[in-house]
Amino acid sequence: MQTLNNASAGGIVLAMADRIVENRAYLSEIDGKIGDGDHGVNMAKGFGMAAERLKGKDLSLAASLETLGTILMTEIGGSMGPLYGVMFTEFAEKLEGVDAIDAAAYSRMLHAGLEGIQSIGSAKVGDKTLLDTFVPAVEAFDKAAADGKSFGEALDALVAAAEIGRDSTINLVAKIGRASRLGERSLGVLDAGATSCAIILKELSEGARDRLQ
Amino acid sequence: MASKTSPTGKLTAGKTGQTDVADAMPLRYGDDPYVWACWLYYEEGRTQHDIAEIMGISRATVNSYLADARSRGIVNISLEPSRLSSLAIAQELKRHFGLQDCLVVPSDDGSRTLIDRLGTAGGQAMAKLLKSGDTLAVAWGRTVLAIAENTAVTGLQDVTIVQATGGTRASFAYTPELCASAMAEATGAKLINISAPAIVSNAEVQSAFLREPLIEEQFAALGRANKALFGVSSLRPNSTIHTSGFFESVSIQHYLAKNAVGVVAGRFIDPQGHAVAGPLDERTIGISLDMLQKIGMRIAVAGGFDKVPAILAALRGGFINVLITDAATGRGILNADGVTEIDQRLAQRTRGEGPVPLPSNVRTHIKKFLNNPDQVVDEMLEGVLKAHAGYIAPIKGSNRALVARNGPRAGKVGLVIGGGTGHEPCFLGYVGKGLADAVAVGNIFSSPPPGPILECARAASGGQGVLFVYGNYAGDVMNFEMAAEMAHEEDIPVRTVLTTDDIASSPVEDREGRRGVAGNFFMFKIAGAACDRGLSLSECEAVTRKANDRTFTIGVALEPCSLPQTRRHNFEIGPDDIEIGMGIHGERGVVRDRMMSADQITDRIIDRIFGEMNAQPGDRVAVLVNSFGATPLMELYILFRRVEQRLGAKNITIATNWVGHYCTSLDMVGASISILHLDQELSDLLRHPCDSAALRIN
Repeated sequence: MQTLNNASAGGIVLAMADRIVENRAYLSEIDGKIGDGDHGVNMAKGFGMAAERLKGKDLSLAASLETLGTILMTEIGGSMGPLYGVMFTEFAEKLEGVDAIDAAAYSRMLHAGLEGIQSIGSAKVGDKTLLDTFVPAVEAFDKAAADGKSFGEALDALVAAAEIGRDSTINLVAKIGRASRLGERSLGVLDAGATSCAIILKELSEGARDRLQ
Repeated sequence: MASKTSPTGKLTAGKTGQTDVADAMPLRYGDDPYVWACWLYYEEGRTQHDIAEIMGISRATVNSYLADARSRGIVNISLEPSRLSSLAIAQELKRHFGLQDCLVVPSDDGSRTLIDRLGTAGGQAMAKLLKSGDTLAVAWGRTVLAIAENTAVTGLQDVTIVQATGGTRASFAYTPELCASAMAEATGAKLINISAPAIVSNAEVQSAFLREPLIEEQFAALGRANKALFGVSSLRPNSTIHTSGFFESVSIQHYLAKNAVGVVAGRFIDPQGHAVAGPLDERTIGISLDMLQKIGMRIAVAGGFDKVPAILAALRGGFINVLITDAATGRGILNADGVTEIDQRLAQRTRGEGPVPLPSNVRTHIKKFLNNPDQVVDEMLEGVLKAHAGYIAPIKGSNRALVARNGPRAGKVGLVIGGGTGHEPCFLGYVGKGLADAVAVGNIFSSPPPGPILECARAASGGQGVLFVYGNYAGDVMNFEMAAEMAHEEDIPVRTVLTTDDIASSPVEDREGRRGVAGNFFMFKIAGAACDRGLSLSECEAVTRKANDRTFTIGVALEPCSLPQTRRHNFEIGPDDIEIGMGIHGERGVVRDRMMSADQITDRIIDRIFGEMNAQPGDRVAVLVNSFGATPLMELYILFRRVEQRLGAKNITIATNWVGHYCTSLDMVGASISILHLDQELSDLLRHPCDSAALRIN
C-alpha cells in the first residue's frame, strides 16, 4: 500500500509557499475584478512568512502545516487568514503522530480542514468561494479511494476535480463576501479564493504523490 | 538587420496595397504605432528624426513610443551573459531570502582583488542607500573599511555614523574607530564613537562601562540607527578574524565547539543563524544581535567562498536584508541552501510573464509616493505615530495595535475599533479622549488578525468590559470574533456592534447583511461619548446600535482606486460611467450609471436615503459628506450644498455637519453622503467633547 512519510514531507509546504508567492500578481488581478484586489498580496505575505520560518528546519509535513496555519491565523488577518489558517491547523492536527500517511489518513485530513472552514464561514458549494474547489476535490479523492484506486491515482483525481471546481466559479454568481454585493455582475470571473485553493490542493497533492513510497 | 530597400517577408506581407509608398506604416501595424516605430529604429536603424518624418509625428512622440515600447515589453534588450548571470543570482538571492535588495558583482576578471571589487560595489550601494537624516551603525573589518574608502556621498544632510562596537588596539589595520570615521568622512556625516574597548576583562568592567553616562548616551545613539553596515567573518583557520586583534585575548575554540560558523558585528552565530552563547557575552561592549535585528536596513557586504556558511547563517538568522557579494559566493550560498538551477529559473520566470498587449496611450501604472510598496502600511504607521504622538502610542511596541494616550481608565467601558488600512483617517484618527480607546490596524483593505485586536481589548479594558465597533465584513467578523473569544477567556467581557450603514449594499430586508462604510464616523463618535460618560457596557452597546440603525450612507465612485502594491486600478469604470453604491474597498457599486451632474447624483442618493429614513419635518440630522480620497473639498461642498437644499425643503434641520476626508478608499475619486437621524440622546452624545488626531469637539 502506498504511503507518504510524514517526517520527510515538510518540503511540500515550502513548495506550496513558493507557488503562492509566484502567483501573487495573478491572484490579485482576478480578485480585483470582483473583490478588492489584495488576495495575492496577502496570501503571498502569509505564505512567504511561513516559508521564512520553515526554511532550513527540515520539519515534518504535520509540523510545517501547523506553522503555516498558525501564521495565517494569527498574523495575516483578512478573511483568508482565518479560513486558510483553520484549514491548515486542522490538516496538521489530523496528521500529527501519523508516521506513514495512507489514503485514509489523507482523507481524514481533508475532511477536518473542510469542516474547520465550514465552522467559521457560512458559504456553501455554489456560492462562488473556495468551497467550490475544495468540496468536489475531496469528493473525487474519496470516490477514487472507494473505487479501489491507488493513493497516487486518488491524488490525481483530487487535483483534476479541484481544477474543474475552480473553473466552475466562472459561471457562478457570488453569494458571500464582498463580491456578493454585485449579484449577476460577478458572473464570468474566476473566484480568487477558489483559484488559490486549487493551487494549494494541487501543490499539496502532487507533492504527496511524488513522495509516495 | 533589414535595410530600407529589402524589407523582410513579414514586412512585405504587411504592406499589401501600399507598395507605392515605401515607408508608410504597413497595414498590419495600423493599430500599433509602437511596433512600427520600433521596427524603424531597431531593425532598420533609422534615426528618431527620420522616423518622425516617416510617421508624420513629432520627434518627442517617437521618443516616447520607443521608451514605452521598452516598458511594455515590445522591445527586449539583452544583456551580456556574465553580467546577466550576476543579475540572475542577485534576483534569486533576493527572492529566496526575501531581501530588500541584493547587489552581486560579476565574476572575477582577475585584475582586481575581491575586497577591492566589493569595496567599489559597496561604495556605489551606499550612495544609493544612504539618505538624509539616516543614522548608520558601522561595524569593523577589512571589507567595511574598503567600502568606506570607496564611498563618496555628497549632498546629504543630518547623517550620523555610529561606531557599532567598542574599539580595538590600533595596531590592527581596520579598527572599529577607523571604519566609522572613514565612513563619516566619506559621507560628510556626524561621527559618534563608542568610547570603550570592544572586549573588556570581565563582566564587572563591562557593566561599569555600560553604566557610564557617556557610554549610555553613545549606546542610545546606536539604538536610533535605522541602517547598519557590516561584514560577515567566517571562523575558518585562514579567516582574518584570528588575526584581527578583536578576539585576541580569548580562545575561539569554545565557540567552534558549540558549532559557531560566523561572526556578525562581533557576535557569534551557528549555521541556523542563532546566537552562540559564550564567555565573551558578558565582556563585549557593542551592538547586540537583538539590536541589530531591530534596525530597519541591515546591509552586509561579504564575499569569498570560505565565507559561504557564515553568510548563509547570517541570512537564515535574518541579520541581513541587503546583501552585497560576488557572483561565485552568491551562487555558493544558493547552492548551499538547496537552490541549484539559478539561471534556468530566471529564464522560466521571464518567459512566464509575457507582456500583455495594451491599446496605445494607456497608462499602465498610477504614480504614488512610495519607497517600498510592500512596506506602505508600516511606513505610514511610523509617520502616523510621529505625527500624532500626543494622541496614540503603540501597545507593547507593535504599531498594529495602538492605544489612546488619554483614553482607557478604570471604571470606563473600553472602546476598540479597527479594520484594514487605506481608509485614513479611519480608523486610527478616531482614537483619543472621548472616542475610541484602541485601534487594531490591518493590511490594506484587510482585517487585522486576532492578536492585535486582543491586545487592544486588554489595553482598553478598565474593568467594565469592552465594546468592539467595526464594519460588517466577513474577514473583520472572523478575526474580531476570535479576539472576543480570547478576551472572554481572560475575563474581559466584550460586546460587539457591527456597523451596517451602507444602504446600497443590500436591500432593507437584509439590513444585517449590509456593510459598514463612512457612517462609522458617527458610530465611533456616539460609542466613544457613551463610554466616556461612564455608561454601562449594555448601555454603550444599545446606544451605538441605535446610532447604527439611524445612520444611512451611499457612496458614488467616479474613478477607481489603485493599490500601492500593483499601482494599477483595481477595477475599471468606463469613461462616461459612475458607480452608485460603491463600497469603500472598491467593491463594484450596485448600479452603474451614466455620468450626470452633481445635483442629480446627490438627488439619487438623497432619494434612496429618504426612502429608508423615517424623518419628519422638524427633525434634526447630522450630515457627513466624505471624500473617497481623490475628490477635492471643492466638489464635496457642491454636494453638501444640494444635501442642505433637499433637507431644507423637507424642513429637516442639519444640527451639525462634517465635510472632508473622514473614511477614504486610497485614491478613489468619489464621495459618500451619510445622514444620522438624531434624537435627543444621540444629539447629546454627538456634542460630547472629544480629542483625537482626526476629530476634536470642544
